[in-house]
Order: sequence, then structure tokens, then C-alpha cells
Amino acid sequence: MISPLLHDDPYTVGPFRILARLGGGGMGTVYLARSAGGRTVAVKTLHTRLAADATLRTRFRLEADAARVVGSEHGALVVDADPQAPTPWMATEYVLGPPLDTAVEVGGPLPEPAVRALGASLAAGLEQLHRSEVVHRDLKPSNVLVTAQGPRIIDFGIARAFGDEHLTNVGNAVGTPAFMSPEQAAGLEHAAAGDVFALAGVLVFAATGRGPFGGGAPTDLLYRVRFGDPDLGGVPESLLPLLARCLAKDPAQRPSTTELRTALGGAPYAPGDRGGFADLLPDGVLREISRRSDDVWHEPPHRLPPPAPVEAPRAETALAAGVSRRRLLAVAGGALLGGGLLGGGGWALFGGSDDTGGGTAKKDAVDRPKPPTPLWSTPLWCPESGGEVMRVGRNLAMRAGIVLCGINAESGQSTWQANIEEIWRSATDGNRMYALRGYQEAASLAVCEVAQTSGELGKPLVELSAFAGKEQYNQLLCVLDGTAYLVARAATGKGWYLVAADLRTGKEHWRSPVDDPPAENVPPALFGGVVGSRVVLCGSPEKDSKFIHLSVHDKADGHQLWQLAETFAGTPPTRMVADDRNLYLGAETLTARRLSDGGLEWMFGNGRDVGDSAGEERRYGTPTVQDGVVYCTEADRGLVSVDALSGTLNWQEQGLSGRKSKREVAPAVGKKYAYCADDTGVRAVDLRTRKAVWTYQSEPVVLTGDPDGGRLYLRLEKRTIALPLA
Amino acid sequence: MDRLRQDDPARIGDFVTLARLDADGSRGVPERRYLARSADGGHTVVACLPPPGGDPARWAAEAQQAARLTQPGFWPVAQLGGTAGFPWHAAPYRPALPLPAVLAAHGGPLPEPLVRTLGGTLAEALASAHVLGIVHGGVCPAGVLLTARGPLLACFGATRANPMTETSSAHPTGPDTGCLAPELAAGGPVDRAADVYALGAVLAYAATGHTVPERQEIPAGLRDIVTACRSRDPQGRPEPAKVLAELLPGAAYGGLAGATEPLSLPGRVVEALSRQSAEVLAAALPTHER
Repeated sequence: MISPLLHDDPYTVGPFRILARLGGGGMGTVYLARSAGGRTVAVKTLHTRLAADATLRTRFRLEADAARVVGSEHGALVVDADPQAPTPWMATEYVLGPPLDTAVEVGGPLPEPAVRALGASLAAGLEQLHRSEVVHRDLKPSNVLVTAQGPRIIDFGIARAFGDEHLTNVGNAVGTPAFMSPEQAAGLEHAAAGDVFALAGVLVFAATGRGPFGGGAPTDLLYRVRFGDPDLGGVPESLLPLLARCLAKDPAQRPSTTELRTALGGAPYAPGDRGGFADLLPDGVLREISRRSDDVWHEPPHRLPPPAPVEAPRAETALAAGVSRRRLLAVAGGALLGGGLLGGGGWALFGGSDDTGGGTAKKDAVDRPKPPTPLWSTPLWCPESGGEVMRVGRNLAMRAGIVLCGINAESGQSTWQANIEEIWRSATDGNRMYALRGYQEAASLAVCEVAQTSGELGKPLVELSAFAGKEQYNQLLCVLDGTAYLVARAATGKGWYLVAADLRTGKEHWRSPVDDPPAENVPPALFGGVVGSRVVLCGSPEKDSKFIHLSVHDKADGHQLWQLAETFAGTPPTRMVADDRNLYLGAETLTARRLSDGGLEWMFGNGRDVGDSAGEERRYGTPTVQDGVVYCTEADRGLVSVDALSGTLNWQEQGLSGRKSKREVAPAVGKKYAYCADDTGVRAVDLRTRKAVWTYQSEPVVLTGDPDGGRLYLRLEKRTIALPLA
Repeated sequence: MDRLRQDDPARIGDFVTLARLDADGSRGVPERRYLARSADGGHTVVACLPPPGGDPARWAAEAQQAARLTQPGFWPVAQLGGTAGFPWHAAPYRPALPLPAVLAAHGGPLPEPLVRTLGGTLAEALASAHVLGIVHGGVCPAGVLLTARGPLLACFGATRANPMTETSSAHPTGPDTGCLAPELAAGGPVDRAADVYALGAVLAYAATGHTVPERQEIPAGLRDIVTACRSRDPQGRPEPAKVLAELLPGAAYGGLAGATEPLSLPGRVVEALSRQSAEVLAAALPTHER
């Protein structure tokens, strides 16, 4: 899938401008790229260090030739190639469809007519290849792309299939040998009949979701491929004899591709019927095709910045680059805007100056930017705590005084109001608003949806009689994927629990005991939420204590993975700041705690001279993490940008003096500026020059960035303002 | 998507035209729509021109209005250009099929669950616009562009730009006449109720293949709501929020028009959408053809 470029990826390859990464491996990288004429292609490159090897270079050329032979009906059309370039490359059309393994994962095993049509088309493709005396040698589900018009064969194994060294390294060089032919597994020649064997394996996979020889360790697999009987359980009966023949150990017993194509019976639709194949596909696969057809037109993601100057392990950088939008979205505490969400994905209006390349420096020199004009400004009062702006569908929700308000994001007008005084009793999943049923109302605890027209609570989505409905300090932490996570007091006895409840089925998933609230009149948790496969809970501190209690639970069954007490400085943190690996906290130092085991991943600022901080013990403000970078104010000296992986300084703000930073207000980050709160207002720090360029005079209480909507929401004590987020 | 014809412009502003968005011979399309690309190849857009015979000034005024809106569920107008006599507007390309092309790809009227999803999403878009006092005024089958993530309303203000006259109900340059509320013929305003009437016509079109079906042609489950929307009395038409509630009971208001996940669409519709995407991906500017 489309992911951002790394800082050292090329800007051009041959005549193509590189836009994004599509994939990478040991041999090279595949990029999304565009020609001067605007044609969009996939460009596959061979690593320069491997290109020195003349044989590999030849094989790369052979692969391009093979791709040309198979052509655009059954493969990816080769647009251009230069196997002689210092970095050899090949440009093909960008094929709009998921690989077969992804297709089966999202849509389940294919129905028989689809398997037959898929098989017939793949057999025809191989037939064409074999006629030109080319053998694929690496046919497997991940090398078959399922488009709406039919399957396409990609990634010929020529460059990999020669030589003995790869067989001894089979586990890492080729990936799974599950679809190898027995002769290939034995190190013998894999001819056309070997492709037939592999094709049958692919069809078994398409029909059942498993290969005919299962999975497991490569050596076991190789043994089973050579000597074991294929497992054809779940294969439609009418296909059994044919596929069993294709999977014969003796190549001579297998049918030819022509025979196979005929026996599969071709497609149950007319040859010219373009939509016939798509009609056979499950909905999940169709949606995946739609997604890819649409996503390729989104503005490509921004190139990632170079890692910190300190040596960062290369593999980790690549992992960070591969973090998908979906994984980041799984940070459910991030129903609050501007959590760890990647920007991008939306439409960038090309009239704007946020181009993806350089070329804006000149503009900066000419006119110094001024604070923008508010898009709207309404007299919505901000509460002392819990004033964050939340996105609900395409509208906003925020607390105004003692009510929860729905706000039209375009106009700032209030559209509904809900009378939920206790801020800890409501949460959003980003699309809907939920709240606990009023504590005066019933004996059992219930989660209801807040109607986004009237602000009224609907019928309970889940009712939990095991928990006390009349407990005012029951807490709704977050809602994600139809599951509500709450902290509630048991109906009998005094124990408190972290509870996960399914809003669709109305059933409790699990519960796990947690600490009681530390005092009479406070909710049990400061914050909590889901990050990836874990639930993070931060208990409220005891009076006058400087410790907060962090615990992390398994999202699947609630069992506690670890817990610890963490110190804080100044006011206790009120929101979860996390990405998929760490939890970040700004206090005396800026720290990253691993979500996996609670260990300290890194600590920033220990012993660092941060200048005079006017007697404040809290040196680091509430951080914000975005795209692998932690932004945080450092004493009164301004913003620092710290690499989230390594905890090393990327840069620090230059030339700030005479301001007192508001440490409890987390910065917001746009594409050009980071926004910080200080005693004079909100200042925009240019991410390139690292200097403040303007200050919006005000007394900010909360800053929330919405990268998707392109807005910066600024909450003052008695007013809420929307500014464009640049 | 269709090939350019002799009388089509080679350029629209800085954009080089590549193809027509609407199939040849499409009727009831209130503007001329092209797929076009910037000369550097970097930006592909859907560029729109006023319809032949229409009033360019009125059309441009509506486009200017639309450019100020960022209504979810509305096809955006991101860039305006041209002259008083030859105005145009453009927005970044994304794969999109006009509703008539959706029916053509599917091979006929759409299944009821899909009609409900499309109708509900459009109703939500109108509801949120109406709250702000915005009347779309151009709802018609060709004005609905179906993307992978749901339908968007294009052709903002087409009815206002091509007002009906009392003498002629024929409306060669505007939306499909079946989408025009009866009060418009008598000089009535293009108001919220007129949007709802047009929404009813679009629902009818999606479910039957034409905008003015007989009652019994409409699938039973949609009959009442379509008939209510198409009521001759503007007062008798439901609010869009009501239409949404009828079509998709229990759907959360605010979650449809900005959907981030792809919609479930019939195979042939997905095929047409992905084919259009692939063709535009593969297209090169004429001067750069290899």
C-alpha cells in the first residue's frame, strides 16, 4: 500500500518523479511515480549495491522481458525500463487490486465460479508465458493481483530462482516455499509443469484460504511439498480431481496450462463482458479494489524527515515508515483531534502553497506571515479541564461550561447540547458520541448514544447490571470499533473494574480489577484509551501526591500486562499522548515509556540546561506526537522536536525570549508550523526555520489541531476560535 | 468517461483536456465536464464549463458560491478561472461516475439497499447544507458523482443558473426536467423544498432508471418516501433529515457523507470505477505520448 518516502529515497528514477513508496524488500524498492506527461506508474528498482552484480542485473532485465511477454491482460503493462542504469529500474502500470492473499484475508475464500474464472485467466497468462519459453517460477498468492477485470501476474521469480544459495537460505530469500513445486524444492529444474503445480496451489489457497501444504517452518514445508499429500479439504468437489492432478509429484502427470484452462471451463460470462469477473468477487475484495482505485489519487504522503543525527537502527526507521494510517487511527484516545493522526489522505487544494516539493523558501523571504484571520469565533466557554475539541463525524463536540455541545465545524454554531456535567461520563469514537446513562436514573450501568440532533441520550446500547448505575464517578474512557471501555464500580461490594463492553451485542467482553478512586469526589482515571492491542489506564493521583498510576491491559481479554507509578510535575496530565509503541509524558524530563512492558524507552532533557524557568518545577510541557516526532515545550525556551524512536533532539526553537510557556497546553502541529501556547498567546513556529513567525494574541487554554480538516481550534476562557492549520 | 470530440476545447485554463467525464449523448447534464491535466503532468482535475447555450455569467456566479463552500457530500469547486465569456472551474480528480453511468455499468436500476445508502448519504449532505441556509439547487442524476467512498453532489446551483421560464418547460441546458419541482415553473424560488423534490427524483432514477416513474414501478420499500419527496405541495415534502431516517433507520447523522471506508458497490460498478481510475492513471498528455 502507499506509504511515505524515506528521506533517502530518490526524487526521480529515469524520467519519473517519485511520489510514494509501494513496497520494499531485499532486492529493491517499488515506488509510485509519475511521468512528465502525468502518467502514473509503479517503478521497481534494484538496489544499487546489488546492481554491481552482473548476473543480478541480467536477471532484472529478464524479468522486465518476461513482464513484457505476459502483457497487460494477464500482467502489468511494462511502460519503460532501464536495466543498464546505475540503479536498474522497470516502470509498469499501477495495477488497481489487492494481492490474492490480501483479497482472501478481507473477503474470505472465493466462491467456486470466482476460483474457476481466476484459474482460467491465470492459466491463460502462463500459457502465453510458456509459449515464449519463459517460466514464472515464483507463482504464489502475493504475486497475483486481483483486479476488477481479472487477475494479473506480477513479480517473476527469474531474478531469484537461479542458483543454489537461495535454496539453502529459503526461509529468508524467498519467503514461504508453500507454493513451490516439488522439483524446485528438490533443487531440480522447475519447468512449465512447475508453474502448473504452483498455480494449483494458488487456486487451493483461493478456495480455502490455505495452501495445499499448510504453513510452518520452511524445512518442514519443503519436505511436505516433496513427499507429502496435498490437503485439499474445503476445495469444491468439482475442482478436486483437476487440482489433484496438477499437484502430482511427477511433472509429467500434470496437465498443460492449455488443458487446465479448458478444464476450468473458462468464465461464466461472455468474453467481452468487462464487469463479469468483478460480479463474481466477494464484497470485501470489491471494496479493497475501490479503495485502491481511489487512494492512488490522494495527495501522496509527505516524505519523512531524516532520522536524528545519532545512529538509529535502520530497520526501525523502516518500520516507522511503514506505520499505516490505519494503525495510527487505532489510537483511540485520539478521538481527540490531533493525537497521533497522520495528516494527508485528504485532498490538498492545489491552489495552496503546501506543495510537496521545495520552492516555498522564496515566499517566506518576501512577506513575513501574519496571524491568520479566524474562520469563526464563538462565545463558547472553556471548562477548567476537559476542554479538548473532539471530532464527531464531520462535526465537533466540546464542553462549554457544564454542558457538552455539538458544534458545526464550518460555522462554529452549536447544533446540540447534552446535559452531561461529568466530563468523564462521555466519549466519542470519532463518529458518534456516547455517554453513560444518568446516575440518578437506574440501578444498572448503561452506555447510550448521544443523539447528534437533540443531544438526548438514546436507549442503552449495553446495560451492565453487574455494575452500579448510581455511581457518579463511573467513567467512560473511550469507544473504539463498537466496543466501549469504561471504569465502573461493581453493583455489590466496593471493587472497581476496567470493563470492555460490546455496543453491538450489548454484552460485556471482559473486566479487570483496578484501583478505587483515590478520593471521594474524583473519577478513578485521569485518562485512558486504546492503543493498538492494548488499553492504557492512568489512575487519578491521590491528594498532594506527585505520582500517577499507569496500567496497561491486553485489549483482547483485559488482563493487566504491567503497571507502575510515574511522577509528574505541575498539574497532572489529562490526556493520553501515545503512538503505537510509546506513551509520552512531559514533566521534569520528557519520557517515552514502552507500551509493551512499561520500560523506559528513552528520557530526554535530563541534565540539559534549559535556561531560567522562573521557579517552575515542571520543565517539559504536555507533548504532542505526530509522524514519529514528539513536539514539546522546554521550560520557557520554546519548542523542541525530538525523534520518537530514539529520543534524540531533532531541533529546538530559535530566538525565543521573554515568554512564559503554558506547559499544560499541548502544542498542535501542521505542515508548516507548530503552534505553542505562551503567556502572550499562540505562536506559530516555522518547522523549517525553527523560529516563531507570528503570535495570535490571546490566552489559550486548549489548542487542538485537526490535520484532516485543516483547522486549529483555540479555546480561550470565554471564547472558542477556529484558525486555519498551516 | 468518453473520448474528446472535435468541438471540445484542447485547453481549459492551464489544463490540457484528456477526456469527457460524461458519455456521449448524455442528457440532463447541466455542465460540460472534462478530465484534464496541468501541463507539468502533476495535477489531474475534473474541469467544468457552462453548458452550451447556458448563461456563462450566471453559471460562474454559482461556481463562485460553490467555491466558498466546504460542505461534506458536495463535489468541491477548488479553482475558478477563465473569462466572463468562458468561465471554468476545477477540482482534483478522483474516480467518479455520474449516476447515469453507474446505472449503465450495473446494467439497470440499482438494488434497493444501495439506493437507500446513496439516497441517505445525499439526504445527509442536503440536511447539513440546509441547516446553514445553503440550498444546493442542482440535484439531478447527472449531478450525482459516485466515488468509491460515496456519492457527492456536483452541479451546484444548476437550476438557479438555468431558470425555467413560464412559457417553456423544456429545459435544454439545465438538469433533467423530472428533477424540477412544479412550483419552479410558476416562478417559485429554488428553495430547500425544491432540493428535496429533486432528491426524490434522483432516488426514483436510481431505483427505476428514470426520474418520473409510475408509483408501482418504484420498489415497495421506497414508494412512500419517494412519493413524499415528489409531492406537488412543497409543504408536503419531508425534511432531508427525515428522508435520511426513513432510508437508513438508525444511521448516525454526520457519518455518511464524510465516510472514510469504501462503500459496498455491485461488481460491475466497481469495475467501471476502477477502469476509469486505471485509464486516467495510464493517460499521458498528448505531447508526452511515448
